[in-house]
Amino acid sequence: MSNIEDTLVLLLAGGVGSRLNILVTTRAKPAVPFAGLYRIIDFSLSNVMNSGMKHVGVLTQYKPLSLMRHLATGDAWDFTGRSRGVKILPPSTGSRDSDWYRGTADAIRQNLGFLRAHPSKEILILSGDHIYQMDLYAMIEFHRQKNADITIGMMIVPESQIHQFGTGITNDEGRIVEWEEKPKVPRTNLASMGIYVFETEYLLNLLAEDKEMVDFGMHLIPKAISRDNVFAYPFNGYWRDAGTIQAYWEANMDLLKDDPEISPEAWGIRPNLESEQLLADRIPARFAAGSSVSRSMISAGCVIEGEVINSVLSPGVKVGKGCSIRDSIILHDCVIEEGAIVDLAVMDKRVRIGKGAVIGKGDKKNIPNKKYPEHLYTGITLIGKEAVVPPGTVIGRNCIINPWCKQNCFNDNVIEDGSTI
Amino acid sequence: MKLKPRTLAMILAGGRVDDLTVLTFHRPKSAVPFGGFARVIDFPLSNLMNSGLDRVAILSQYRSYSLINHIGIGAAWDMIGRYRGISIMPPYLGYGHSQWYRGSSDAVYQNLDFIQYINPEQLLILSGDHIYRMDYRELINYHREKDADLTMACIKVPMSQAHRFGLADIDDEDGELGGRVVRYREKPESPEYNWASLTVFCFKPGVLYKVLESNIKEDASYEFGRDIIPRMLNENRRVYGYKFKGYWGYTRTVEEYWQTNMDLLGPDPKIQFADWAIRTNLEHRDIKDCQPLKVGNSARISESLIYNGCIIEGEVENSILFPGTHVEKGSKVKDSVLFFNNVVGKDAVLDKVISDVNTTFGRGVRIGEVTRPGKKEAAVIGWNNFINANTIIGSGCTVYPSLSSDKIPKQVEPGEVVR
Repeated sequence: MSNIEDTLVLLLAGGVGSRLNILVTTRAKPAVPFAGLYRIIDFSLSNVMNSGMKHVGVLTQYKPLSLMRHLATGDAWDFTGRSRGVKILPPSTGSRDSDWYRGTADAIRQNLGFLRAHPSKEILILSGDHIYQMDLYAMIEFHRQKNADITIGMMIVPESQIHQFGTGITNDEGRIVEWEEKPKVPRTNLASMGIYVFETEYLLNLLAEDKEMVDFGMHLIPKAISRDNVFAYPFNGYWRDAGTIQAYWEANMDLLKDDPEISPEAWGIRPNLESEQLLADRIPARFAAGSSVSRSMISAGCVIEGEVINSVLSPGVKVGKGCSIRDSIILHDCVIEEGAIVDLAVMDKRVRIGKGAVIGKGDKKNIPNKKYPEHLYTGITLIGKEAVVPPGTVIGRNCIINPWCKQNCFNDNVIEDGSTI
Repeated sequence: MKLKPRTLAMILAGGRVDDLTVLTFHRPKSAVPFGGFARVIDFPLSNLMNSGLDRVAILSQYRSYSLINHIGIGAAWDMIGRYRGISIMPPYLGYGHSQWYRGSSDAVYQNLDFIQYINPEQLLILSGDHIYRMDYRELINYHREKDADLTMACIKVPMSQAHRFGLADIDDEDGELGGRVVRYREKPESPEYNWASLTVFCFKPGVLYKVLESNIKEDASYEFGRDIIPRMLNENRRVYGYKFKGYWGYTRTVEEYWQTNMDLLGPDPKIQFADWAIRTNLEHRDIKDCQPLKVGNSARISESLIYNGCIIEGEVENSILFPGTHVEKGSKVKDSVLFFNNVVGKDAVLDKVISDVNTTFGRGVRIGEVTRPGKKEAAVIGWNNFINANTIIGSGCTVYPSLSSDKIPKQVEPGEVVR
């Protein structure tokens, strides 16, 4: 009997996450910063660590640099040692298969060598895109108990969202008898979380059957359900995709509730502070006389002289005198100069907001962004990495300031609701 | 080209300081927490790192577990590599040898074989007990320029305070930079000059070996300040003083320790902490795994430094909070330094309190409000205590570590010691 801890884990971290707009200009979705200190992938990696698994392959494709720097040796999640490790698996050219990953299953198929080098009874495949805490050890126990070929982590989601997911209909034992990928008219509210336990032999055979089967949800799972033992492993905790700006903002706000639904520290989620590669450590957050902070998360290295309400601040953010920050997510080392007002914004790293500027002016939160109406429609304004907003500029609702926009990008000091610069 | 390190740094980190009472019952002075996330020894270690000196030995003796744990493998200061490293050197038993370090210079003497094995061009000996920022390269350059046998860093202190220090009389050979040490007295009753030694010494190793040998043979005391420096001056060795002009936190008493913490606060703090480029071992006490500080609805915070992992629901003013401290609703923390994992219960008041790790203050506890006439003194609470609800403790009190909570009276008069 092999140990559950020896299960090989493959983490799919290649997704673009394009609905996160400017947050994924320079990084893949799993590398998007979250909850001040973390990146989204920390949740999956820490779940794997806390479940006791020791060997992880991370499949990357899209803009992997910040992800690779973040993973480093895997030391932050205890993956260093003689019998443990985390490996980055980028697409590569080979004698026959020489292509980018065409889908989730294709990505696994192109790394069969890695699978063979780490023989294990089961393979656990999960996505690096989600915010949750889950005992994956218990899931594999369930898989063994059911004698399943495949076990899929599934949860109940509201009917309004079910069209975004792979869905399954189960019988009394929890066996999945029918599968529908992203159904227009839902017949169930049980959705796939993109977490799969496969019998390794079974997976290898399935992958070999037809190389045109490139996606788990679209191809492999429906086929398996029609003839083999596929079980649903029920999950009923907090789980978020955070794949849209709205969902990302809401998940961050969930941290701030009195009885918060997300508690990264209590969940045992580990960040990797060293991946910032700073010369010095961040000192504790400094609160000046006259500052006022409530219902917020503030990271080390912040300097707060103004007002911060209901916001999440990553390390090193400076909020000047007379500023007011409300309902916003501000990433590392942004500088908000004196008297600036920020209301309902998501700000990428190292943005500078000039004196007296206003981000999120007016109450026309329902005028969507003209260029990306499906991304920004609730009033959130996005400011891209290292953008510089000149002093006195007034920016409306649902605006996008692209990364690296400097003074010369702003022709006018009033930016209308729904504009993109 | 640098084929191997030219400088070996040795940090004297073994001492406990009696006047710091309960804060050094279970750890040496160098491992005392400072600045909301760090330890005192992080200051010399970060200075070494920032000076490009990365071959380091730490001489430890007193209760060294906390220190050894903190140093780890030295990776926090980038001191792992072929020639980079931190070696911890506790006292040892050996063939014909079995004794504790009998003083600071004896600690070095007992490790002469190690120093000779490294064979550095200069030996930098530092105290691990002080809060300051210094680029040691400037001192070493001056030492080499002067072809000195010993160069010691000194800082000018008020004459009224000078009797507490080792004092050098430095001539004007190089003006503001430094000069020859013409006289030296260890803690004289009536000082005549006021350049205080920082316990930062740069030695020419060959000379130090000889002086240590004769010290061991001829003297009964083995301290750099009391014995080695006077001996070198008597032998007419080239002893130079390097004049340091930055901030120096001496922290030998509770009051000084408290004041040095307070020097991190205020609109124009004496210590520009963020510029000091301090690194600590984030793995010690797992502070790297803390989530950001959570500030609740009713919180009020001003003039304070608060690290990740804290939860603030009450009021915090002019204070420093280490990771994992929880200030509950209705409570007030003022002019205080709270180490890791303290809990300040609802409606409690802490006024000028230094509290060691893992102490819980029950609901309505009031500390430091009742004062003796004169200047308000800090109350010091040892670690792992639970102070029962509504207990009143006066200013300047000391509560010993790990007491069972029924040992702590409901009311403690100012200045009392609870053991």
